[in-house]
Amino acid sequence: MSARVAVVVFPGTNSEDETLRALTAVGLDAEIVHWSRGAAGLRPFDAYVLPGGFSYEDRVRAGAVAAHDEAMDAVIAGAQAGKYVLGICNGAQTLLEAGLVPGTGPLRRPTAAFAPNASGKFQSLHVHVRLNVPPGRVPMLASLPPDCVIPAWASHGEGRLAATEAELDRMEREGHIAFVYCDARGADVPAPNGSARGAAALTNAAGNVLAIMPHPERAERAIYAPSGGIVFFAAFAAALAGAVAR
Amino acid sequence: MSEVDRAYVVSLTIPDNEAYTALTTLARMGLPVERAVRADVWIVNLDPARAADVDATVPTLEGIFNPNKHRLEIRSDALPRPGEVWIMPRDERPAITIGGRAVEGVRGVRRCTAWRLLDAHGGDVAPALLARATEMFLCNPAFQEAIS
Repeated sequence: MSARVAVVVFPGTNSEDETLRALTAVGLDAEIVHWSRGAAGLRPFDAYVLPGGFSYEDRVRAGAVAAHDEAMDAVIAGAQAGKYVLGICNGAQTLLEAGLVPGTGPLRRPTAAFAPNASGKFQSLHVHVRLNVPPGRVPMLASLPPDCVIPAWASHGEGRLAATEAELDRMEREGHIAFVYCDARGADVPAPNGSARGAAALTNAAGNVLAIMPHPERAERAIYAPSGGIVFFAAFAAALAGAVAR
Repeated sequence: MSEVDRAYVVSLTIPDNEAYTALTTLARMGLPVERAVRADVWIVNLDPARAADVDATVPTLEGIFNPNKHRLEIRSDALPRPGEVWIMPRDERPAITIGGRAVEGVRGVRRCTAWRLLDAHGGDVAPALLARATEMFLCNPAFQEAIS
């Protein structure tokens, strides 16, 4: 039996097609599920992917309204039950606002933020990110090699990790910073958005929730030079196959 | 060199969809709020000798104020009113432009969002309820602060 993956679309989501394409390209049984199907429509799925965009037009704060949407009840319950949950860009902001990452506080009470970029501007640029924890720390990507470098497109106005120094220390110490910005060879570079600790992605304590700001799905195909983001989704598919087999 | 802060409070006179979305979310959270009122606040640090000029210029800045759909209130004390909370980025450097334009006499500009929550009688909700809504939804303390 193959894993069923819901690509969760809120009003204003705009990256569902390329996300679905990347998931199906690695053999996953994925489908787009609109928020209006509610939590009941999402519960049967084995995993959730929240794509990029501007859910609810970024009203109040990027990801804040979607985090409180009834559809998210199923995503949160799934995450708590150990299902894999991946958020990309606005999906990452939503997971953070939902309190699923870093997951060090109560649900829907964020202890960190993907705050406005240090430049004060929306930025769109090609980047590389490096796995910053042992692959086993994030089970959904466990088949990636250590220090794996993934190409992606950073395309956001609010992607700068912000938190108190104590919380940032904790995130670093407990392995919540799953990916950091780097160059093509994996060497550290300053985060283009000013993100604290160079963070590009966060995970929770169990490692079954991952919130990544840059878009690996936009670097999925060879026509998007440079390509290579597909390895991210291939690892996701391999982990899901293993999880469903168990 | 003396300086003074002034607040230019810009609110919509047409339906505010963002406020309505916030209201819907607050209702889903079980908070008894009948209406949410939102405004963009531009806190401007300026040369007091040029204050009158800046006051006259701000209503001409189409990037922040359109008289066909906005109301502009100028506050010389640059403070929230009772019943109001201002949500402000904690670590943002002040800009030197307002509405994308450099205005003579302006030294720095910070932007925030003002919220008022009203009950079924049209009055402000209890301070404890406003504080709860702020804590649970309106403000992310990781990068914002709430001023009331």
